[in-house]
Amino acid sequence: MATAKELSASNNVDNTVVGPSILISGRLTGDEDLTVRGRVEGELTLSRTLIVEPSGVVKANVAVKNAIVSGVVVGNINATESVELTREGRMVGDIRAPRVIIVDGASFRGRVDMGDVEPGRLPAERPAVVRPAAVTRPTMTPARPTIPSARPTPPPPPSRPTPPPPPSRPTPPPAVTRPSAPVTRPGLGGLGSKPLPPPPPTRVERAEPADQAGSSEGPSPVLVGAGAKKKVVVKKKTR
Amino acid sequence: MANTVIGSSIVIDGEISGDEDLVIQGTVKGKISLKESLYVEGSGVVEADIETQNVEIAGRVTGNIVASDKVELKTDCRVVGDIKAPRILIADGASFKGNVDMDMKER
Amino acid sequence: MATGETGIIGKGIVIKGNLTGGGDLVIEGRVEGQIALKNHLTIESTGKVQADIRAEELTINGEASGNIDASSRVAINASAKVAGDIKAPRVVIEDGAVFNGSIEMDVRLPDDI
Repeated sequence: MATAKELSASNNVDNTVVGPSILISGRLTGDEDLTVRGRVEGELTLSRTLIVEPSGVVKANVAVKNAIVSGVVVGNINATESVELTREGRMVGDIRAPRVIIVDGASFRGRVDMGDVEPGRLPAERPAVVRPAAVTRPTMTPARPTIPSARPTPPPPPSRPTPPPPPSRPTPPPAVTRPSAPVTRPGLGGLGSKPLPPPPPTRVERAEPADQAGSSEGPSPVLVGAGAKKKVVVKKKTR
Repeated sequence: MANTVIGSSIVIDGEISGDEDLVIQGTVKGKISLKESLYVEGSGVVEADIETQNVEIAGRVTGNIVASDKVELKTDCRVVGDIKAPRILIADGASFKGNVDMDMKER
Repeated sequence: MATGETGIIGKGIVIKGNLTGGGDLVIEGRVEGQIALKNHLTIESTGKVQADIRAEELTINGEASGNIDASSRVAINASAKVAGDIKAPRVVIEDGAVFNGSIEMDVRLPDDI
């Protein structure tokens, strides 16, 4: 579960960074990782990962693929993959994501909606937008943290000497050769033994379309959802 | 990486303010007010009024610029708007349309 | 944690009704109703609980549905499936756990939020 560590280790490349003294208010959209050390208010839509560092404050409705919160978030987060509140993370608002991780020390008030994911059959059964597997991408950040799925496809019963060929298993991406050796417990971070996990489930924009293109209207106010007691309204700033 | 960088795929519609350098490779619409330097790189597109100490523009800017120190328009930049600053540099190859006002009393 | 007194509700056991007590409790079977414990409750991976739960500390490896009120800590481990509202000063959700509901902890926000 080294997601937070991996991400922050590899994020210094050429991502967007909002420095500690910077305040952005309005609507921010993008297709790259964003690291917030300052403050972002309004609305935030990314197709990649949002990292809120300990000095960072995000007072916005957030739609991202992954979010790692070590600072403060007030507003709702909708993530297609995962949300992690680290030891220093503080958040008031609702989280909607198939994977939600709250680490000891984090504080949170609001609702969590992971959908009705069954652990163990997460990665491949979903209608996934197939993204090229991480290896095939000529990316300059090989350690790009497509957070390794800790959820294994159900392991064959450990007692069986030779597991039958797994017919029900979804076909892995062509680039991946799955080891045929029986793995007794393939889960639990044992991903190191596999060459590569199947591409993580990427889903197209679930709910909250948040018209990306950025029309000219101002940011909508952040309304913290029902689960949270505190209601926050961002001052509307139109240009 | 001390500076704030707005990457090339990022679009911001709103206001940016702060006390540190800002590098724009993406798109910013709205307003920018900084106490330090602003760099609009070749890929950067700014449709905003800008208030800062220094600006270096290699990309596109539409909007009025007020700088307390210097405005530098680099080769291949395209700037439309009025510029007010004590020092203004326009490089060969820059394209600029607007008024220039170098008569600043303060600083 | 109180030592010595750890009750176990085994795999084959089904309890319907209220469960109260002072010691630690481990549930490997099924409980439906209400649970109020002074100490540590553990729901093992075989355990299924449909109950409102009050305890000092709660560790969930199995399934739980109902509201949870813990005076110190709730840990939802990777194998757990939990639905309900949680109130506790510390709540931990491991990667892999499934949780739907609300969480209420004390969140100390900066003053200017």
